[in-house]
Amino acid sequence: MTESVKLTIPSDPKYLSLARKIVYHLLINHDVSKEIIPRLVLCVDEACSNIIKYGYNGCRDQPIEMTFSLAEDFFEVKIRDYGKQCDSRDIKPRPIHEVKPGGLGTYFINEIMDEVNYCTNREKGTLLTMCKNLKGELASARREIG
Amino acid sequence: MSLELKTSQNGNGVVTVLIEGDIDMSSSTEVRTHLTDLFKKKQKAIVVDLSKVPYIDSSGIATLVEGLQWSHANKTKFRLTRLTPMVKDVFEIARLLTVFEVFDSNEEALKGI
Repeated sequence: MTESVKLTIPSDPKYLSLARKIVYHLLINHDVSKEIIPRLVLCVDEACSNIIKYGYNGCRDQPIEMTFSLAEDFFEVKIRDYGKQCDSRDIKPRPIHEVKPGGLGTYFINEIMDEVNYCTNREKGTLLTMCKNLKGELASARREIG
Repeated sequence: MSLELKTSQNGNGVVTVLIEGDIDMSSSTEVRTHLTDLFKKKQKAIVVDLSKVPYIDSSGIATLVEGLQWSHANKTKFRLTRLTPMVKDVFEIARLLTVFEVFDSNEEALKGI
């Protein structure tokens, strides 16, 4: 069975901690191992930060709509914004060997999530879908392996 | 969670900054401003204690990378200590653990300065 939770926050950085707490508790309640949870929380945070910075240009009163879906073996996050669209081919992480500030958020998302898709096939904004396969990532599964 | 920055000076031009709270998009500017002020004062070394930082995102990492670059340009030592598991994991993903001088304790970080 897939369980879904929806959350809408304003595009104000002060609400990022709220989104992080909700994702954390959802994943804890789903028995996802504590090793992987901070990484998944980071991906949601980075995606929202990018929307605030690039999609809404720092405007703080625009909606960021999130849907978190959890099944036994996967975690899917859909994040919808209504800001400036950009070509998904332009969303590139910086080369990791370059030690310089910036460009790491997209790198984290691509490195941690199994599937990442930016859909701009709509009048306004973007729908970002990120998926993580949870096979072997549930705390109970880890205990069995251990 | 609000951010707190506690600075202590040991008298030899070495400053230790204890950061308490999440470093994310809403708070990294405050960290950046604080570190920039310290660099402008031409300290011999800046030690950043991250033991009370449960969460860091890419903007926080970018701030510390800026600090590192500033330290190289100004010949100031810039060291990180006591990374929490989450922060250490993010540094590992970003492959930055070997780029920074990272120590398990403030005492170790102060050696050789």
